Amino acid sequence: MAASPENTVPQASRNAAGGVRPAVVIGGNRIPFARAHGHYAHASNQDMLTAAIDGLVARFGLQGQRLGAVAGGAVLKHPRNFNLVREAVLATALAPDTPAYDVQMACATGMEAIGSLANKIRLGQLESGIGGGVDSTSDAPIAVSEGLRRMLLELHRAKTARQKLAAVARLRPRDLAPDAPGTAEPRTGLSMGEHQALTTAAWGITREAQDQLALASHRNLAAAYERNFFDDLITPYRGLARDANLRADTSAEKLASLQPVFGKDLGTTATMTAGNSTPLTDGAATVLLGSEDFARQHNLPMLANFLDFEAASVDFVRGREGLLMAPAYAVPRLLERNGLSLQDFDFYEIHEAFAGTVLSTLAAWEDAGFCRNKLGLDAPLGPVDRSRLNVNGSSLAAGHPFAATGGRIVATLAKLLHEKGSGRGLVSVCAAGGQGVAAILEAR
Amino acid sequence: MSAPERADVVLGSVPKLGPLYAAAAGKQAAGWRRRRAVRGRGPGAPEEVLRLPAVRHVVRGVAADPGRLAAYQRLVGDALRDTLPSVYVHGLAFPVAVGVMVRADFPLPLLGMVHLGNVVEHSRPIGVGEELEIAAWPENLRAHRAGTRVDMVVEASAGGVPVWRGVSTYLAKGIGAAPELAPGEPRACLPPAPTARWQLDAATGRAYAAVLGDYNPIHLGVLPAKALGLKRPIAHGMYLAGRVLATAAPNDCGYRWSIRFEAPVFLPGTVEVALGPHNGTVDFEGWNAASGRRHFAGRVGALPPAET
Repeated sequence: MAASPENTVPQASRNAAGGVRPAVVIGGNRIPFARAHGHYAHASNQDMLTAAIDGLVARFGLQGQRLGAVAGGAVLKHPRNFNLVREAVLATALAPDTPAYDVQMACATGMEAIGSLANKIRLGQLESGIGGGVDSTSDAPIAVSEGLRRMLLELHRAKTARQKLAAVARLRPRDLAPDAPGTAEPRTGLSMGEHQALTTAAWGITREAQDQLALASHRNLAAAYERNFFDDLITPYRGLARDANLRADTSAEKLASLQPVFGKDLGTTATMTAGNSTPLTDGAATVLLGSEDFARQHNLPMLANFLDFEAASVDFVRGREGLLMAPAYAVPRLLERNGLSLQDFDFYEIHEAFAGTVLSTLAAWEDAGFCRNKLGLDAPLGPVDRSRLNVNGSSLAAGHPFAATGGRIVATLAKLLHEKGSGRGLVSVCAAGGQGVAAILEAR
Repeated sequence: MSAPERADVVLGSVPKLGPLYAAAAGKQAAGWRRRRAVRGRGPGAPEEVLRLPAVRHVVRGVAADPGRLAAYQRLVGDALRDTLPSVYVHGLAFPVAVGVMVRADFPLPLLGMVHLGNVVEHSRPIGVGEELEIAAWPENLRAHRAGTRVDMVVEASAGGVPVWRGVSTYLAKGIGAAPELAPGEPRACLPPAPTARWQLDAATGRAYAAVLGDYNPIHLGVLPAKALGLKRPIAHGMYLAGRVLATAAPNDCGYRWSIRFEAPVFLPGTVEVALGPHNGTVDFEGWNAASGRRHFAGRVGALPPAET
């Protein structure tokens, strides 16, 4: 294939004096998030990611252009989608010579994809990029059982008829049952909800506080739709124009009437319901990043700078910390590196995997013992102004298609900061495997 | 330690457990137990009435089978490493110890014995290709409130240096019981918050047996378990230990671990597990959420560098 004009060496600005330059969030686009086995039941990860990128390309007039890279991923991914993002790019209006790569970091996939692209832009390696992610729990890959898989591999290795027969003879009837992906942690066998229920109980987070956070999430998201905040952040898809999980009319009474679903056998009162936990969701989200030069040359908006990001992990396997508490460690390291305090932000985007996750994290930052013993700080990080928290709703209302959540959050926060015209925003996203990513954005 | 008066019985190879269990069943069926065992509280403490054979059974040139090792590592959720997990070494040596326990002069009946616990010192990582000398002997016969206890000691050495030493304690119920040794009120088990939950299916015992060869009927199925007085099959204690160690044992240095078994884990079943740091070691516990009964508890920790 002949190189498109954009594939030639550009006259780009060189990174001055070896320092870093700003990586700018230009905009974002996602498809509305659907509840599992709902509107997107028949759409694949690749379909949804293609739709989200195409909407972004259309919004910013990038048709036929070669971008520096497209990075993203899916948490529930079939091996045949080994090049998920590249295959999606080939189906979009972007120039086919746009490189793409897959990233996978559980629910922090989107944040890692966006953050690493931002770093490449800051270093001058890339002028532009799209980061994001997609997930489908409706079109989830289903694997054969371990027994059947081993039998098939053994059969493949067998040379003689006798060896082949021996391989087949090892198969048991129960090996024929398919193996669907679950949300259980591989090393503990506990679901993410059960893990969070332990943490929620350990921090003494009440049912009322969790329901209140869920209610705020729905109300804030509904209000953001009402004021057309998402008009330039969302492209309707397959008949869905708003997040299907949003319950604008939910109430404290309705949330209080739900039965607990997690932590029912912990010996304490179970507090986590389907209302204050995120549902399984389908969706895709993308963010367009670029250098200032790229934005100016293409006459594109500059919403915010992607300033910095930090990953952390915790040892939940040996009981040293709760599964979803890693962001509580990532944030203070990020603050320290950037010379900021927890109160130096205008907006806080703390991913609502569960209401209990957000509230446990906030409680930890206010707890002198946690901050001293676990973070090694002289004083607690202190409180977060709740009126600045998830002001346009978060995952409890919007839903949480695992890898898509980072893209949703970064685009939302960048637009919020740009609207305000000043200040900073803090992002915190927890992930399976005891991981988490935190990021700082700065208004432009 | 092996007492100097023990006579070494050098075996050509590690015996097979199936025939050993069959021999034990034959011996017990023949009324051997009636002749030799002391029922109830006898005229003296078990160590005065019963005599342990003063022998060590020794097998040289024992090596791990890579295929079996991989199957074991998969079974307990460990990575496929080229070093031997502690419970795998136990599995290699276990038949040698059982060989001692089915000797005609061993004073307690093998089948029906209760596995009380283990203390193991795994002195350094043991490579998959290393040739080990396995020695097994009994010691420390003593009274228990419900019968008589005995320690089976197993030592694995490489190049004449012990690299693994394990003491398994078993209880022969009803023999020389000393009710006065019973603790007071049973301690209420107040389980901590779990860090893991194991769903064990009905085939768990058969899967462990297929890998490490321990076909003790109490682990295999409902009928064989019932024949030995259990309502359902129970998980191998060492399977439970192996799963904990796959998560908690260090892989780059020597370590010491111990486990004591309480209520058996009936199969199929669910076990709540808690691992927690404790002064540089990891304490662990497993229990049944429904009954509140504890299945096992123990500790694993790296050996200080000076000892490795």
